[in-house]
Amino acid sequence: MKSGGLVPTTGPLPDPRAADLDLIRRVVDGDEGALAALYDRYSGLVYSVAKRVLQDAGAAEEILQDIFYQLWRTARSFDAARGSLPGWLLVTARNRAIDRLRRRPPGDRAATEEAPTNFPFPLEAAVSRNEMMSRVKAALGGLPEAQRQAMELAYFEGLTQSEIAQRTGEPLGTVKTRMRTALQTLKRALTA
Amino acid sequence: MNGHPQFDEDFDLYALGVLDADEARALAAHVERCRDCARQLDAARGRTAALALAAPAEVPSPAVRERLLRQVRTETAEPPGSSFWSFQRWLVPALALASVALAVGLAFERARNREFAQTIQVLQAQAQRQKVETVRALAVLEVLTAPDTLKVTLVAGTAQPVPQGKAFYHLSKGLVFYAANLPALPAGRTYQLWLVPVAGNPVSAGVFAIDASGNGAVLLPDLPAGVAAKAFAVTEEPEGGVPQPTGPKVLVGLVS
Repeated sequence: MKSGGLVPTTGPLPDPRAADLDLIRRVVDGDEGALAALYDRYSGLVYSVAKRVLQDAGAAEEILQDIFYQLWRTARSFDAARGSLPGWLLVTARNRAIDRLRRRPPGDRAATEEAPTNFPFPLEAAVSRNEMMSRVKAALGGLPEAQRQAMELAYFEGLTQSEIAQRTGEPLGTVKTRMRTALQTLKRALTA
Repeated sequence: MNGHPQFDEDFDLYALGVLDADEARALAAHVERCRDCARQLDAARGRTAALALAAPAEVPSPAVRERLLRQVRTETAEPPGSSFWSFQRWLVPALALASVALAVGLAFERARNREFAQTIQVLQAQAQRQKVETVRALAVLEVLTAPDTLKVTLVAGTAQPVPQGKAFYHLSKGLVFYAANLPALPAGRTYQLWLVPVAGNPVSAGVFAIDASGNGAVLLPDLPAGVAAKAFAVTEEPEGGVPQPTGPKVLVGLVS
């Protein structure tokens, strides 16, 4: 019996980062549909960070809308830098929410400022995004309670080491040691 | 800090934003000059950014998406670095929109007003050459066709040809207004459209210019939501408009 080999009926899966950059270029050209597609992909990520920091749905929603509107207006500079969009979104969402929580005037940051140029985690595809979330949660959850608390106060509440010492009533030296140890552990867990 | 940071975690502490101001400044100054350290800081920023993924997953209300897309449609995005192109970008859809809105109005008034028809044909020809901003035009269409839209005709007393205005007003969808046969104004003067609420002072619905034939339009102006209208009026005002009407009433139409 003659049988043909199996051939793929579709091409290779599209590279999610290239797909992001293509959508960003369309946003530069004023394509609302492309902005909506990026929103659908990443709004949950942005909103979750802002909500965790602010503990307030309304305020988190304002930040979510502002960030995507900023992307609409400054997509051109993002396209030129070719960074990781989810990397920028995470950094921007966290910084904006902390600014608001601490009642600091929001910095007028350019689209690529303060974002890692080489964000090492592929968050563009939903599968790897979920995997990374589990990995980070496991890494943070695996820290001793005092270290985890110090990291969360620093990251999600924007406290400095001195402020963490005040908040927890512990000596500054203890807090500093604790944070260094936590960061070493996290670095090993996230780069393994 | 003149040399490299003492510990690798210093980069993470800096990225996390927990260093004291002096330490942070020193590290930033060093990184400016040291390529190796800049690379390490970038890696630390990546690791730190990933901490955001520890936030419990939440889903935003669908209303945010709608608000964002509405904001994007109504506020013209300005491509950085070129005010000329941002002007162009605004101008084309605006002209196209004016054409389409007037074309829709034609469906209602064709039989009654041949002068409108001529204007609309000219504008329709423009519309074919320009990219139409479909979504906004649909919003205009909604105002014109909704069963609960108020339709108000505004007329002047005795001028020939008779100046005329049409207002299509919907409480939640907005206002579409167009006028014909208005006399040309002296330099420094403009027409201004007013929504006269059932209670309170008139609300400006914007100023508008007219073309050589005396035709003008105001499409979906920013108005406070849900204001019940008693009347619409057009006055002649100083250029740029005024907060409250001061000039002569050119057109008035009561909501029947």
